Amino acid sequence: MLIQIRDLHRTYQVGDQEVRALDGVDLDIEQNEYVAVMGPSGSGKSTLMNILGCLDTPSRGSYRLKDQEIGKMSDDELARIRNQEIGFVFQTFNLLARADALHNVELPLVYAGMKHEERRQRARESLALVGLADRMKHKPNELSGGQRQRVAIARALVNRPSIILADEPTGNLDSHTGAEIMAAFEGIWKHGNTVILVTHEADIAEHARRVVRMKDGRIESDHVNPHPRIAVATGGGGSE
Amino acid sequence: MNLRESIGIALGGVRANKLRSFLTLLGTIIGVASVIAVVSFVEGLNRFVTQKLLNAGANVFVVDKYGFITSREQYEEAVKRPDVTLEDAKALRDGVSHASLVVAQAGGSTQLRYRNRTMKGVSLNGRGAGYDVVDDVAIEEGRHLSEFDDVGRGAVCVIGPEVAEELFGKLPALGRGIRVGVYEFQVVGVTKAKGKMFGQSQDRFVTVPIRTFQKYWQERGSFSVALKSVDQSSMPLAEQEARNIMRARRHQRPGQPDQFGITNSETWLTLYRTLTGGIFVVTIGVAAISLLVGGIVIMNIMLVSVTERTKEIGVRKALGARRRDILTQFLVESTTLSLSGGIIGIMLGGGLALVVGAVSPLPAALSVPAVLLGILMSTCVGVFFGSYPAFRAARLDPIEALRYE
Repeated sequence: MLIQIRDLHRTYQVGDQEVRALDGVDLDIEQNEYVAVMGPSGSGKSTLMNILGCLDTPSRGSYRLKDQEIGKMSDDELARIRNQEIGFVFQTFNLLARADALHNVELPLVYAGMKHEERRQRARESLALVGLADRMKHKPNELSGGQRQRVAIARALVNRPSIILADEPTGNLDSHTGAEIMAAFEGIWKHGNTVILVTHEADIAEHARRVVRMKDGRIESDHVNPHPRIAVATGGGGSE
Repeated sequence: MNLRESIGIALGGVRANKLRSFLTLLGTIIGVASVIAVVSFVEGLNRFVTQKLLNAGANVFVVDKYGFITSREQYEEAVKRPDVTLEDAKALRDGVSHASLVVAQAGGSTQLRYRNRTMKGVSLNGRGAGYDVVDDVAIEEGRHLSEFDDVGRGAVCVIGPEVAEELFGKLPALGRGIRVGVYEFQVVGVTKAKGKMFGQSQDRFVTVPIRTFQKYWQERGSFSVALKSVDQSSMPLAEQEARNIMRARRHQRPGQPDQFGITNSETWLTLYRTLTGGIFVVTIGVAAISLLVGGIVIMNIMLVSVTERTKEIGVRKALGARRRDILTQFLVESTTLSLSGGIIGIMLGGGLALVVGAVSPLPAALSVPAVLLGILMSTCVGVFFGSYPAFRAARLDPIEALRYE
């Protein structure tokens, strides 16, 4: 079992009010699953994503990632787990504006302490994988939205993480480019990676093979997607 | 590489906002520049003083009426003392066994004339034999004044090269008659050039025999006597002998203060050290204040930078940066920033010292310790004032930071 979550609670103190963002979540995710976590805002899906991504720790309950208990870890241990096990893809891409594509992709390896040459090589491979071999020296502002998100995907993949965690990855893209990005996730998943999509858009969630719906801090439903939508790269689009 | 990256980011920031960076670094620049400039000056002065003041007057001490006066009361007391006469000089010459040279001297200022050319404000020296050693002058052409000139009260003089140049131009100087004040003198020697010292030309003088000086300019009045001891170790003995002789000649009782003064280069050095010490204290004050202000400005700009780049910090943390990675990054940035200020300051202060040294007589030398001091100071400023912003950055919660717009 890759991810094992048991009776997970996360509460915040807002003034004298206690807000229960997560209120008893149980969730198992296997290696090489393609899961969408859905739900309206306030459902707790962002909190769940933060905990899954080891950016946050539960108030109560257990989160085991590859048999390691995350809840008890120190900040530096969490940083190490994020570095080695998690590949983030954000809605707003979150690339470093002043660094070129290659350097952005390299960044997780920098924090992994990898040597310069090896790092360069891995980053180039990763960029080539998302079809940006010819854009390595471009800064984010010289790239289109789709290209930026692909750089972000290359960055998420570069450390060969256990989980690709994508938070509304198409939220800032037009539908055409969005489809292209979803095709990229399809490919990543087919390569044997575990992909977790966090979204509130049903048509994006449809790409996943399993859909988890959240409501009021709990899992409302968790079922296999019987008719997954297969995104196919249409070619040409997004590489303007 | 992480280090190189951080330095690159910091330098990129400096380049991208040249004016802002300059203003940010102004305090550091001024602080470092003032320290470098002053250290360079004092360093140069030190070298100069050791070379010229000490070597020229090595093992030399001077007996005169006044001694080393530092207050009005001392002066008023000293005026009442008896004059030091040529007889005193003779007694010292005869009596101080540890002295290799005893030279009577007197001086003033005069006007020179040769045909239609005049020269004002020329140092007029009356000197006994052996003056060439004590004054550290060498002859370029002609000869030194001799014992014979002195005894005969000859109207002969040795002139500095500047005097020769100005009065005679390219013409040979030797044997020419010049007017020193109102008296006619013959030039018998021209000395080698010595250059300037504290802005004073050392080549603008006329030296006459001491008795000649006495005859024409100073029938009454006090002389001073320079004594050169045989070697360094005999200097205190020579001083003691001189003191005893002078006290005896003034019929002083034991316990009575000296009715004359003895100064040696040590006395001048003490004064010199006090002066430069004062300069140092003032500089340290100025530097400390500007470095403090500079440091606060750097801290401020780093806090702004941390706020501006909250999102970046969040991203870096999400990608696996630990607290110390972020801390290091911002510390390196603030240090790079202040260090560039330090380097500009070193260039500015060093340049200032060199320019002033070139156009003015003040000597200056940019020393390696001064440069190292500047680098050390600016590094400390960067680390010290950068640590709070860096700490704030490192402590940011990744979720909050990622959410920041």
